Amino acid sequence: MPALPSLLLDPELTRFVMGGVSINAGSGGAEGLPSLCRAFGCRVDPGTGRITLFFSAPQAADLIRDATASGALAVVFSEPPTHRTVQIKGQDARLVPLAEDDLACVTAYRTAFAQSLVFLGFTEVMVRTLLDCPDEALVALTFTPSAFFNSTPGAQAGTPLIPALTPPPTPGAP
Amino acid sequence: MIPIRALRDCLDGVIPGVVSTCAPDGTPNVAYMSQGQYLDDRHLALSYQFFNRTHQNLLANPRVTLGLIHPQTAQQYRLHLVYERTETQGPVFESMKAKLAGIASHTGMSGVFRLLGSDIYRIEGAEVVPGSTLPAPASAVDPLLALRTCMERLPTSSDAESLLDALLDGLQAHFAIEQALVMMLDPRRDRLYTVASRGYATSGVGSEIPLGDGVIGVAARERVPIRISHVTSEYAYGLAMREGAERQGMGDRLETEIPFPGLASPGSQLAVPIPGAREPLGVLFVESPTEMRFTHADEDALVALATQVGGLFRLFLAELELGDEAQPAAARDPRPGGAPLRVRHYAANDSVFLGDDYLIKGVAGNILWTLLQDHQALGRTQFSNRELRADPRVRLPDQSDNLEARLVLLHRRLAERQACVQLEKTGRGRFRLLVARPLELEDMDPGA
Repeated sequence: MPALPSLLLDPELTRFVMGGVSINAGSGGAEGLPSLCRAFGCRVDPGTGRITLFFSAPQAADLIRDATASGALAVVFSEPPTHRTVQIKGQDARLVPLAEDDLACVTAYRTAFAQSLVFLGFTEVMVRTLLDCPDEALVALTFTPSAFFNSTPGAQAGTPLIPALTPPPTPGAP
Repeated sequence: MIPIRALRDCLDGVIPGVVSTCAPDGTPNVAYMSQGQYLDDRHLALSYQFFNRTHQNLLANPRVTLGLIHPQTAQQYRLHLVYERTETQGPVFESMKAKLAGIASHTGMSGVFRLLGSDIYRIEGAEVVPGSTLPAPASAVDPLLALRTCMERLPTSSDAESLLDALLDGLQAHFAIEQALVMMLDPRRDRLYTVASRGYATSGVGSEIPLGDGVIGVAARERVPIRISHVTSEYAYGLAMREGAERQGMGDRLETEIPFPGLASPGSQLAVPIPGAREPLGVLFVESPTEMRFTHADEDALVALATQVGGLFRLFLAELELGDEAQPAAARDPRPGGAPLRVRHYAANDSVFLGDDYLIKGVAGNILWTLLQDHQALGRTQFSNRELRADPRVRLPDQSDNLEARLVLLHRRLAERQACVQLEKTGRGRFRLLVARPLELEDMDPGA
């Protein structure tokens, strides 16, 4: 199997995606039916650049089915106060067991996202209810980034971001 | 399936929805949508603001999964949609455009968010996403009970004026809506004029806005309710119009401008057309300094009330066509004494001035001028709506004209100005002209 093209997130983008941002992931299934699920945080492996996202298994059943079947995954990270939005796509999504520090990562994410939204007038209990999930129901989906896009609302939305390492062109990605 | 009430709450733009699409090669794409609108139990519309990857995907593969979050309960939903078409004009588009301007301003995205179209989708399926939720907060007002209580009083009104009073008092008492007004449509001039209001420093009766201007004008033109939870300068024309009138200087035009009474800094607005046989009769408008004040349930209730008000208005008009009540003896009121007051009429816009004070213009101005001429020449004080309708001097736009509303306007203006001329209702479709001092009528440009 040929090595998949890999992109590395620079430190600033890494901090952004691991901060208090809204995270939604999509994939596609049979007959082009899209799937969708909200994630409860992520971590970025500094060595491989792989991104691991955390979901509630019951919520993410369709997404996991589609993403693990095709490998295709699109993830949007958006910072509510600024609307800064980045979309990262990959083609090798797969389930992995949660690592030792992942529960702490989810806990930190809930706090950061709640802070970000309380600033906008939402109640903390509302945000924490949205992100509530028993630890044992958490699952992790990991993928190698193959394309970055600036998705911040505006005419520039959809333009590729210049990555830290320029990969060979990726067929099929927008 | 998702309860419709919850779906509509989710689409209000408080929390942006998330749209997942797939390219023909299976590459997924995820994007935020600013605004959605419930259309019916099989359809909804999403705002189309940029030609982006989502739109490219839709043209090749119309299937969409939309993620929604209820803004109060945090319940997540997913809708499976199929893209049908994009509308770039008409009621759905105009209503979404007005709302989007509010959302854009609220989120600091004015100038970035602009509605290119309303994407219409068919709802193929819906799922409740498993997860924790909060109880829905109880509303201070039960809109269905408020609607019932408010509606019960409307048919007991004997005429158009008391009907409008019953409506606005009911909104205050049962819906806790403090700022409200009714504007009627003048179809010949494509303008709306205020006939009744509550909750403003000045009533604004007689103030006008052009059809298509602001939420009221767009609601009338498109015949669609418009509800804005975050009002922007673009649609908060109350202030803008006042400033506009000031900019025009102290010329003759300003003299005939009655300021629109709207809030200077509204947070929420809701404009609901009052349906007529063809064009809407007018618009019921409510507003509040508080953002997100009016709910879908308020909108539903006001649409029901406006429908009933429209029906009753048309009933009043139909009754007038059937015939007058018995005509009282044509007793002549004694001529008043005292210093005469000069009353001027400008035929160009039918404006009437009592002394130096501007009173009214348009059809209502012409009605007053006709009444005063008959009073002066024939000593008449008793009149009927029906004869005015038939009088060629009044120059009504057409037979279906809302003469009742014009008489309400004239009556209110005279009462508010405490003018020496007043109208007094004497029976169904009948009234008396009360003149407290001698008048000198002067037609300023009779040839016009």
